[in-house]
Amino acid sequence: MKSLFVVIATSLISTSSLIAQDKYFTKSGRINFVSKAALENIDGNNKAVTCVLDTKTGNVQFAVLMKGFEFEKALMQEHFNENYVESHKYPKAEFKGQVVNNPEINYAKDGTYIVKVKGMLTMHGETKEVETVGNVVVKSGKLQAGAEFNILLSDFKIEIPKLVKDNVSNTVKIIVDCSLEPLKS
Amino acid sequence: MKKKRVFISIIFVAIVGGAWFGYSEYKRKVKDLANVTAHFTMQANELITIFENNETAANAEYLDKIIAVKGNVKAVERDDRGYFTIVLGETGSLSSVRCSMDSLHVKDVAGVKEGLHITVKGACTGFTTDELLGSDVILNRCVIQTEK
Repeated sequence: MKSLFVVIATSLISTSSLIAQDKYFTKSGRINFVSKAALENIDGNNKAVTCVLDTKTGNVQFAVLMKGFEFEKALMQEHFNENYVESHKYPKAEFKGQVVNNPEINYAKDGTYIVKVKGMLTMHGETKEVETVGNVVVKSGKLQAGAEFNILLSDFKIEIPKLVKDNVSNTVKIIVDCSLEPLKS
Repeated sequence: MKKKRVFISIIFVAIVGGAWFGYSEYKRKVKDLANVTAHFTMQANELITIFENNETAANAEYLDKIIAVKGNVKAVERDDRGYFTIVLGETGSLSSVRCSMDSLHVKDVAGVKEGLHITVKGACTGFTTDELLGSDVILNRCVIQTEK
């Protein structure tokens, strides 16, 4: 009788811990905004990105505060906020999407997995579909998620001032690097 | 002749001055907040409530402003690259003020432990809210303010 109770209790605990580990999150993910051009390379780094991944459904969400991008030079940071992304008007960027090949990823087994992500990116008040291939490293119950993809500033109606048009690229590389932990409910 | 010399001197000084100003503007770094006076001083709970009540109005008032926030330390987080975040607020509540610490002032974080009441000064970058993760006001380039 006692051993039956132990078996039931153990299976209940392991079931609940499996349920609890469906969702992974971070509030300190990193995103870099990199623009390479003739005059100068621009690299903004945001290290307070929120990300939630539901491993059961493959749903993935990112929230980024535009004012949180830090640049090497103050002038770059001011131009980025005031002239390009107009962060006072559009303080947040969001991505809502799906891990397309979610069934192929075994989140319970350590390893490196290729992930295909597709979804809608909203920035500067404009929403555009984005698709990319990244990777997830599963290690000791945590996930390290990384991806790189290009966006066009013109797709998000971000205008480059005429004066610097030849020296600032319309293509921006977005680099995502997030360390996700299980969400304990 | 003398007039011409004065004129040329003025032009020369203006060119050199302009070039120097342009160069120093180009090289200018973002300010270290340790040397900047806060625009606002308030309790962590007070700041969270302001954003929870009306995010748009709070953004208009506080985005980019330097805020000195007083509160209890809920957690001190260190990410895989050594960046620190001090989380201020009530233990048990899902709402917090998350302070991304300035990497130049990392050594000041050493003495900060959970449960301490401290003041952190930082630039407000906004508010995130999520039904699972709760609400957070985010401060960036933060430094610990020592009471005088």
